[in-house]
Amino acid sequence: MNREKAISMTKCVLVLAIIALCSGLLLGAFHIITYVDPLQSAYDRFAEDTGEAFSSMRDEDGKDYGNGRVVYYAVSDDGQTHAFLAEGDGGFKGSVRLYVYVKDGAIFKIVVGDHSETYMDRLEAADYYANFIGKDISSLDALAADAVSGATKSSTAVRNAVNAVVQYYKEGNGQEVQTEMLRGDFAAGGECNG
Amino acid sequence: MDKRKIKETFLGGVIKNNPTFVLVLGTCPTIAMTTSLFQAFAMGVATTFVLIFSNLFVSLLRNVIPDKVRIPCYIVIISTFVTIVQMVMQKFLPELYSTMQAFIALIVVNCIILARAESFASCNRPLYSVLDGVSMGIGFTAALCLIGIVREFFAAGSFAGMEIPGFPAMDSVGASAFGFIVFGCLMALFNFVIRKLDERKEKMKKSVLPLSEGRAETLEEVAK
Repeated sequence: MNREKAISMTKCVLVLAIIALCSGLLLGAFHIITYVDPLQSAYDRFAEDTGEAFSSMRDEDGKDYGNGRVVYYAVSDDGQTHAFLAEGDGGFKGSVRLYVYVKDGAIFKIVVGDHSETYMDRLEAADYYANFIGKDISSLDALAADAVSGATKSSTAVRNAVNAVVQYYKEGNGQEVQTEMLRGDFAAGGECNG
Repeated sequence: MDKRKIKETFLGGVIKNNPTFVLVLGTCPTIAMTTSLFQAFAMGVATTFVLIFSNLFVSLLRNVIPDKVRIPCYIVIISTFVTIVQMVMQKFLPELYSTMQAFIALIVVNCIILARAESFASCNRPLYSVLDGVSMGIGFTAALCLIGIVREFFAAGSFAGMEIPGFPAMDSVGASAFGFIVFGCLMALFNFVIRKLDERKEKMKKSVLPLSEGRAETLEEVAK
Protein backbone atom coordinates (compact mmCIF):
# COMPACT_ATOMS: atom_id res chain seq x y z
CA MET A 1 0.00 0.00 0.00
CA ASN A 2 2.78 2.41 1.02
CA ARG A 3 4.76 1.46 -2.04
CA GLU A 4 1.78 2.22 -4.27
CA LYS A 5 1.35 5.57 -2.60
CA ALA A 6 5.04 6.36 -3.04
CA ILE A 7 4.90 5.41 -6.73
CA SER A 8 1.80 7.57 -7.23
CA MET A 9 3.44 10.53 -5.50
CA THR A 10 6.63 10.14 -7.51
CA LYS A 11 4.59 10.04 -10.70
CA CYS A 12 2.76 13.24 -9.72
CA VAL A 13 6.00 15.08 -8.95
CA LEU A 14 7.70 13.78 -12.07
CA VAL A 15 4.85 14.79 -14.40
CA LEU A 16 4.63 18.23 -12.85
CA ALA A 17 8.41 18.67 -13.07
CA ILE A 18 8.53 17.59 -16.72
CA ILE A 19 5.67 19.93 -17.66
CA ALA A 20 7.37 22.81 -15.80
CA LEU A 21 10.69 22.04 -17.51
CA CYS A 22 9.13 21.96 -20.99
CA SER A 23 7.31 25.17 -20.18
CA GLY A 24 10.58 26.80 -19.09
CA LEU A 25 12.33 25.71 -22.29
CA LEU A 26 9.48 27.08 -24.44
CA LEU A 27 9.52 30.39 -22.58
CA GLY A 28 13.30 30.57 -22.89
CA ALA A 29 13.03 30.17 -26.66
CA PHE A 30 10.36 32.89 -26.84
CA HIS A 31 12.45 35.16 -24.65
CA ILE A 32 15.32 34.93 -27.13
CA ILE A 33 12.97 35.74 -30.02
CA THR A 34 11.16 38.63 -28.36
CA TYR A 35 13.91 40.18 -26.22
CA VAL A 36 13.91 43.97 -26.36
CA ASP A 37 17.23 45.62 -25.51
CA PRO A 38 16.27 48.62 -23.31
CA LEU A 39 19.24 50.65 -24.53
CA GLN A 40 18.45 50.04 -28.19
CA SER A 41 14.80 50.75 -27.51
CA ALA A 42 15.78 54.13 -25.96
CA TYR A 43 17.96 54.99 -29.01
CA ASP A 44 15.09 54.17 -31.35
CA ARG A 45 12.67 56.26 -29.33
CA PHE A 46 15.02 59.27 -29.17
CA ALA A 47 15.52 59.14 -32.93
CA GLU A 48 11.79 58.65 -33.60
CA ASP A 49 10.71 61.53 -31.37
CA THR A 50 13.29 64.08 -32.54
CA GLY A 51 14.02 62.96 -36.11
CA GLU A 52 17.73 63.19 -35.33
CA ALA A 53 20.50 60.59 -35.15
CA PHE A 54 21.81 59.32 -31.82
CA SER A 55 24.84 57.07 -32.16
CA SER A 56 25.95 56.76 -28.53
CA MET A 57 24.70 57.28 -24.98
CA ARG A 58 26.42 59.91 -22.87
CA ASP A 59 25.28 58.28 -19.66
CA GLU A 60 24.09 54.70 -19.50
CA ASP A 61 24.13 54.49 -15.68
CA GLY A 62 21.92 57.51 -15.01
CA LYS A 63 21.56 59.32 -11.71
CA ASP A 64 19.09 59.02 -8.86
CA TYR A 65 17.51 62.09 -7.23
CA GLY A 66 15.28 60.40 -4.64
CA ASN A 67 11.80 60.61 -6.13
CA GLY A 68 13.03 60.77 -9.68
CA ARG A 69 15.96 59.62 -11.73
CA VAL A 70 17.62 59.97 -15.11
CA VAL A 71 17.87 56.51 -16.64
CA TYR A 72 19.65 57.33 -19.91
CA TYR A 73 21.08 60.48 -21.35
CA ALA A 74 22.18 61.00 -24.94
CA VAL A 75 23.16 63.88 -27.19
CA SER A 76 22.30 63.94 -30.87
CA ASP A 77 25.15 63.57 -33.33
CA ASP A 78 24.98 67.29 -34.21
CA GLY A 79 25.25 68.14 -30.48
CA GLN A 80 22.10 70.26 -30.47
CA THR A 81 19.52 68.00 -28.86
CA HIS A 82 19.81 66.48 -25.39
CA ALA A 83 17.60 63.44 -24.90
CA PHE A 84 16.73 62.03 -21.49
CA LEU A 85 14.85 58.97 -20.40
CA ALA A 86 13.67 59.88 -16.90
CA GLU A 87 11.58 58.08 -14.31
CA GLY A 88 9.39 59.67 -11.63
CA ASP A 89 8.02 57.96 -8.51
CA GLY A 90 4.78 58.70 -6.70
CA GLY A 91 2.30 57.67 -9.38
CA PHE A 92 -0.99 55.97 -8.58
CA LYS A 93 0.30 52.61 -9.81
CA GLY A 94 4.05 53.02 -9.55
CA SER A 95 6.55 55.05 -11.51
CA VAL A 96 6.14 56.90 -14.79
CA ARG A 97 8.80 57.07 -17.51
CA LEU A 98 9.20 60.15 -19.65
CA TYR A 99 11.29 61.00 -22.68
CA VAL A 100 12.42 64.60 -22.21
CA TYR A 101 14.17 66.56 -24.97
CA VAL A 102 16.19 69.72 -24.36
CA LYS A 103 17.44 72.17 -26.99
CA ASP A 104 19.01 75.61 -26.54
CA GLY A 105 18.65 75.40 -22.76
CA ALA A 106 14.89 74.70 -22.79
CA ILE A 107 12.72 71.60 -22.78
CA PHE A 108 11.05 71.43 -26.19
CA LYS A 109 9.32 68.05 -26.06
CA ILE A 110 8.04 65.56 -23.48
CA VAL A 111 6.80 62.13 -24.52
CA VAL A 112 5.21 59.73 -22.03
CA GLY A 113 6.89 56.32 -21.88
CA ASP A 114 6.08 53.19 -19.84
CA HIS A 115 3.59 53.59 -17.02
CA SER A 116 0.62 51.85 -15.43
CA GLU A 117 -1.38 54.98 -14.63
CA THR A 118 -5.09 55.14 -15.36
CA TYR A 119 -5.52 58.87 -15.80
CA MET A 120 -2.40 59.94 -17.72
CA ASP A 121 -4.58 61.30 -20.52
CA ARG A 122 -5.99 63.88 -18.09
CA LEU A 123 -2.56 65.52 -17.94
CA GLU A 124 -2.59 65.96 -21.69
CA ALA A 125 -6.15 67.30 -21.54
CA ALA A 126 -5.19 69.79 -18.79
CA ASP A 127 -2.14 70.91 -20.82
CA TYR A 128 0.04 69.98 -17.84
CA TYR A 129 3.23 69.64 -19.89
CA ALA A 130 3.01 73.37 -20.76
CA ASN A 131 4.37 73.96 -17.23
CA PHE A 132 7.72 72.62 -18.46
CA ILE A 133 7.87 72.95 -22.25
CA GLY A 134 9.54 76.09 -23.57
CA LYS A 135 10.71 77.20 -20.12
CA ASP A 136 14.35 78.08 -19.52
CA ILE A 137 15.74 75.00 -17.80
CA SER A 138 18.25 76.94 -15.64
CA SER A 139 15.42 78.78 -13.85
CA LEU A 140 12.78 76.04 -14.04
CA ASP A 141 11.36 74.68 -10.78
CA ALA A 142 9.51 71.56 -11.92
CA LEU A 143 8.22 70.74 -8.44
CA ALA A 144 6.32 74.04 -8.29
CA ALA A 145 3.91 72.99 -11.05
CA ASP A 146 0.34 72.56 -9.72
CA ALA A 147 -1.03 69.00 -9.86
CA VAL A 148 -3.96 68.22 -12.14
CA SER A 149 -7.21 67.59 -10.29
CA GLY A 150 -8.27 63.94 -10.63
CA ALA A 151 -4.76 62.83 -11.59
CA THR A 152 -2.76 64.21 -8.66
CA LYS A 153 -0.48 61.21 -8.25
CA SER A 154 0.23 60.91 -11.97
CA SER A 155 1.09 64.65 -12.04
CA THR A 156 3.44 64.12 -9.08
CA ALA A 157 5.25 61.29 -10.88
CA VAL A 158 5.63 63.42 -14.03
CA ARG A 159 6.80 66.38 -11.96
CA ASN A 160 9.43 64.19 -10.22
CA ALA A 161 10.71 62.84 -13.54
CA VAL A 162 11.04 66.32 -15.06
CA ASN A 163 12.68 67.57 -11.86
CA ALA A 164 15.31 64.81 -12.16
CA VAL A 165 16.11 66.01 -15.69
CA VAL A 166 16.29 69.64 -14.54
CA GLN A 167 18.59 68.73 -11.62
CA TYR A 168 20.80 66.65 -13.89
CA TYR A 169 21.04 69.47 -16.41
CA LYS A 170 21.65 72.13 -13.75
CA GLU A 171 24.44 70.07 -12.20
CA GLY A 172 26.22 70.70 -15.44
CA ASN A 173 26.00 67.26 -16.96
CA GLY A 174 24.10 68.52 -19.98
CA GLN A 175 25.97 71.82 -20.25
CA GLU A 176 29.32 70.08 -19.94
CA VAL A 177 28.52 68.13 -23.04
CA GLN A 178 27.63 71.31 -24.90
CA THR A 179 30.93 72.88 -23.85
CA GLU A 180 32.78 69.71 -24.84
CA MET A 181 31.11 69.78 -28.21
CA LEU A 182 32.04 73.46 -28.70
CA ARG A 183 35.62 72.72 -27.65
CA GLY A 184 35.66 69.85 -30.10
CA ASP A 185 34.38 72.10 -32.87
CA PHE A 186 36.91 74.76 -31.99
CA ALA A 187 39.73 72.23 -31.90
CA ALA A 188 38.62 70.83 -35.22
CA GLY A 189 38.48 74.37 -36.63
CA GLY A 190 41.94 75.10 -35.24
CA GLU A 191 43.41 72.07 -36.90
CA CYS A 192 41.90 73.11 -40.17
CA ASN A 193 43.28 76.59 -39.86
CA GLY A 194 46.66 75.32 -38.82
CA MET B 1 -14.43 12.16 -36.99
CA ASP B 2 -17.97 12.81 -35.92
CA LYS B 3 -19.33 15.65 -38.04
CA ARG B 4 -22.25 16.22 -35.70
CA LYS B 5 -19.96 16.55 -32.69
CA ILE B 6 -17.72 18.97 -34.60
CA LYS B 7 -20.75 21.11 -35.46
CA GLU B 8 -22.08 20.96 -31.91
CA THR B 9 -18.67 21.80 -30.42
CA PHE B 10 -18.17 24.73 -32.75
CA LEU B 11 -21.62 26.27 -32.45
CA GLY B 12 -21.75 25.52 -28.72
CA GLY B 13 -19.04 28.00 -27.78
CA VAL B 14 -20.25 30.74 -30.07
CA ILE B 15 -23.99 30.63 -29.34
CA LYS B 16 -25.45 27.97 -27.06
CA ASN B 17 -22.71 28.05 -24.41
CA ASN B 18 -21.36 31.52 -25.10
CA PRO B 19 -18.83 32.07 -22.28
CA THR B 20 -19.84 35.69 -21.65
CA PHE B 21 -23.58 35.87 -22.22
CA VAL B 22 -24.68 32.33 -21.28
CA LEU B 23 -22.04 30.84 -18.95
CA VAL B 24 -21.18 34.29 -17.50
CA LEU B 25 -17.48 33.42 -17.21
CA GLY B 26 -14.57 35.88 -17.36
CA THR B 27 -16.65 38.84 -16.17
CA CYS B 28 -13.62 40.73 -14.85
CA PRO B 29 -11.95 41.33 -18.26
CA THR B 30 -15.40 41.73 -19.81
CA ILE B 31 -16.05 44.84 -17.74
CA ALA B 32 -12.50 46.14 -17.56
CA MET B 33 -11.39 45.70 -21.14
CA THR B 34 -14.44 46.83 -23.08
CA THR B 35 -14.03 50.59 -22.86
CA SER B 36 -13.09 50.61 -26.53
CA LEU B 37 -13.58 48.24 -29.45
CA PHE B 38 -9.86 47.90 -30.16
CA GLN B 39 -9.00 46.98 -26.58
CA ALA B 40 -11.90 44.50 -26.42
CA PHE B 41 -10.77 42.86 -29.66
CA ALA B 42 -7.15 42.61 -28.48
CA MET B 43 -8.24 41.04 -25.19
CA GLY B 44 -10.45 38.57 -27.07
CA VAL B 45 -7.65 37.55 -29.43
CA ALA B 46 -5.17 37.11 -26.57
CA THR B 47 -7.64 34.94 -24.64
CA THR B 48 -8.46 32.91 -27.76
CA PHE B 49 -4.77 32.17 -28.33
CA VAL B 50 -4.33 30.96 -24.76
CA LEU B 51 -7.59 28.97 -24.91
CA ILE B 52 -6.62 27.11 -28.10
CA PHE B 53 -3.15 26.15 -26.97
CA SER B 54 -4.02 25.32 -23.38
CA ASN B 55 -6.91 23.13 -24.59
CA LEU B 56 -4.60 21.40 -27.08
CA PHE B 57 -1.89 20.62 -24.54
CA VAL B 58 -4.28 19.62 -21.77
CA SER B 59 -5.97 17.25 -24.21
CA LEU B 60 -2.67 15.81 -25.44
CA LEU B 61 -1.50 15.19 -21.88
CA ARG B 62 -4.86 14.08 -20.47
CA ASN B 63 -3.76 10.44 -20.11
CA VAL B 64 -0.41 11.37 -18.58
CA ILE B 65 -1.45 13.95 -15.98
CA PRO B 66 -2.45 12.29 -12.68
CA ASP B 67 -5.77 13.46 -11.24
CA LYS B 68 -4.20 14.68 -8.01
CA VAL B 69 -1.99 17.27 -9.72
CA ARG B 70 -4.20 18.15 -12.66
CA ILE B 71 -4.97 21.72 -11.55
CA PRO B 72 -1.29 22.70 -10.95
CA CYS B 73 -0.44 21.13 -14.33
CA TYR B 74 -3.21 23.10 -16.08
CA ILE B 75 -2.08 26.30 -14.41
CA VAL B 76 1.53 25.73 -15.54
CA ILE B 77 0.36 25.12 -19.12
CA ILE B 78 -1.98 28.14 -19.13
CA SER B 79 0.56 30.50 -17.56
CA THR B 80 3.16 29.44 -20.14
CA PHE B 81 0.93 30.60 -22.99
CA VAL B 82 -0.10 33.76 -21.15
CA THR B 83 3.58 34.63 -20.69
CA ILE B 84 4.16 34.00 -24.42
CA VAL B 85 1.28 36.40 -25.22
CA GLN B 86 2.84 38.98 -22.88
CA MET B 87 6.27 38.65 -24.50
CA VAL B 88 4.89 38.93 -28.03
CA MET B 89 2.69 41.93 -27.17
CA GLN B 90 5.54 43.67 -25.36
CA LYS B 91 7.75 43.29 -28.41
CA PHE B 92 5.30 44.06 -31.21
CA LEU B 93 2.49 46.09 -29.58
CA PRO B 94 4.18 47.93 -26.68
CA GLU B 95 1.63 50.76 -26.43
CA LEU B 96 -1.35 48.43 -26.35
CA TYR B 97 0.47 46.19 -23.89
CA SER B 98 1.14 49.06 -21.49
CA THR B 99 -2.60 49.76 -21.22
CA MET B 100 -3.64 46.08 -20.93
CA GLN B 101 -0.67 44.77 -18.91
CA ALA B 102 -2.55 43.87 -15.72
CA PHE B 103 -5.42 42.13 -17.47
CA ILE B 104 -3.22 40.13 -19.82
CA ALA B 105 -1.46 38.64 -16.77
CA LEU B 106 -4.87 37.87 -15.24
CA ILE B 107 -5.78 35.58 -18.18
CA VAL B 108 -3.97 32.88 -16.16
CA VAL B 109 -6.87 32.81 -13.70
CA ASN B 110 -9.60 33.47 -16.27
CA CYS B 111 -12.45 31.08 -15.48
CA ILE B 112 -13.17 30.36 -19.16
CA ILE B 113 -9.74 28.85 -19.74
CA LEU B 114 -9.59 26.76 -16.58
CA ALA B 115 -13.22 25.67 -17.01
CA ARG B 116 -12.67 24.49 -20.58
CA ALA B 117 -9.46 22.69 -19.63
CA GLU B 118 -11.17 20.93 -16.75
CA SER B 119 -14.57 20.20 -18.26
CA PHE B 120 -13.80 19.68 -21.95
CA ALA B 121 -10.14 19.30 -22.91
CA SER B 122 -9.34 16.84 -20.12
CA CYS B 123 -11.87 14.31 -21.49
CA ASN B 124 -11.86 14.95 -25.25
CA ARG B 125 -9.55 14.33 -28.19
CA PRO B 126 -7.13 17.13 -29.26
CA LEU B 127 -9.07 18.02 -32.42
CA TYR B 128 -12.31 18.62 -30.54
CA SER B 129 -10.45 20.46 -27.79
CA VAL B 130 -8.84 22.84 -30.28
CA LEU B 131 -12.21 23.36 -31.92
CA ASP B 132 -13.74 24.08 -28.53
CA GLY B 133 -10.98 26.60 -27.87
CA VAL B 134 -11.61 28.29 -31.22
CA SER B 135 -15.37 28.45 -30.73
CA MET B 136 -15.15 29.64 -27.11
CA GLY B 137 -12.56 32.21 -28.18
CA ILE B 138 -14.75 33.47 -31.02
CA GLY B 139 -17.75 33.62 -28.69
CA PHE B 140 -15.77 35.53 -26.06
CA THR B 141 -14.20 37.93 -28.59
CA ALA B 142 -17.55 38.60 -30.29
CA ALA B 143 -19.24 39.30 -26.95
CA LEU B 144 -16.42 41.61 -25.86
CA CYS B 145 -16.48 43.47 -29.17
CA LEU B 146 -20.26 43.89 -28.99
CA ILE B 147 -20.03 45.38 -25.50
CA GLY B 148 -17.01 47.44 -26.60
CA ILE B 149 -18.90 48.94 -29.57
CA VAL B 150 -21.87 49.99 -27.40
CA ARG B 151 -19.71 51.32 -24.56
CA GLU B 152 -17.36 53.22 -26.83
CA PHE B 153 -20.28 54.71 -28.74
CA PHE B 154 -22.06 56.02 -25.65
CA ALA B 155 -19.11 56.72 -23.35
CA ALA B 156 -16.60 58.24 -25.76
CA GLY B 157 -18.87 59.15 -28.67
CA SER B 158 -16.75 57.25 -31.17
CA PHE B 159 -16.60 54.03 -33.17
CA ALA B 160 -13.29 52.11 -33.28
CA GLY B 161 -11.42 55.30 -32.36
CA MET B 162 -13.17 57.45 -35.01
CA GLU B 163 -15.03 60.30 -33.38
CA ILE B 164 -18.67 60.83 -34.18
CA PRO B 165 -19.10 64.62 -34.47
CA GLY B 166 -21.66 66.21 -32.20
CA PHE B 167 -22.11 63.17 -29.97
CA PRO B 168 -21.66 64.03 -26.27
CA ALA B 169 -19.15 61.91 -24.33
CA MET B 170 -19.88 60.65 -20.80
CA ASP B 171 -17.62 61.44 -17.85
CA SER B 172 -15.31 58.62 -16.79
CA VAL B 173 -17.23 57.65 -13.62
CA GLY B 174 -20.49 57.29 -15.52
CA ALA B 175 -18.70 55.38 -18.27
CA SER B 176 -17.40 52.73 -15.81
CA ALA B 177 -20.83 52.12 -14.27
CA PHE B 178 -22.35 52.06 -17.73
CA GLY B 179 -20.25 48.95 -18.48
CA PHE B 180 -22.35 46.83 -16.10
CA ILE B 181 -25.60 48.17 -17.56
CA VAL B 182 -24.51 47.40 -21.14
CA PHE B 183 -23.31 43.93 -20.10
CA GLY B 184 -26.63 43.15 -18.40
CA CYS B 185 -28.78 44.49 -21.24
CA LEU B 186 -26.83 42.63 -23.94
CA MET B 187 -26.91 39.43 -21.89
CA ALA B 188 -30.70 39.68 -21.55
CA LEU B 189 -31.11 40.43 -25.24
CA PHE B 190 -28.82 37.56 -26.28
CA ASN B 191 -30.64 35.03 -24.09
CA PHE B 192 -34.04 36.31 -25.25
CA VAL B 193 -33.08 35.85 -28.92
CA ILE B 194 -31.60 32.39 -28.27
CA ARG B 195 -34.73 31.28 -26.39
CA LYS B 196 -37.01 32.55 -29.15
CA LEU B 197 -34.93 30.75 -31.78
CA ASP B 198 -35.01 27.54 -29.73
CA GLU B 199 -38.80 27.75 -29.35
CA ARG B 200 -39.20 28.30 -33.07
CA LYS B 201 -36.94 25.36 -33.80
CA GLU B 202 -38.90 23.19 -31.39
CA LYS B 203 -42.19 24.16 -33.00
CA MET B 204 -40.88 23.34 -36.45
CA LYS B 205 -39.60 19.99 -35.18
CA LYS B 206 -43.01 19.14 -33.74
CA SER B 207 -44.81 20.11 -36.89
CA VAL B 208 -42.82 17.59 -38.95
CA LEU B 209 -43.20 14.74 -36.43
CA PRO B 210 -45.28 11.70 -37.48
CA LEU B 211 -48.91 12.01 -36.33
CA SER B 212 -48.68 9.29 -33.63
CA GLU B 213 -45.56 10.77 -31.96
CA GLY B 214 -46.92 14.27 -32.27
CA ARG B 215 -50.12 13.17 -30.59
CA ALA B 216 -48.15 11.51 -27.82
CA GLU B 217 -46.27 14.75 -27.12
CA THR B 218 -49.48 16.74 -27.12
CA LEU B 219 -50.93 14.29 -24.60
CA GLU B 220 -47.83 14.69 -22.43
CA GLU B 221 -48.23 18.44 -22.49
CA VAL B 222 -51.89 18.13 -21.49
CA ALA B 223 -50.94 15.80 -18.63
CA LYS B 224 -48.44 18.38 -17.37
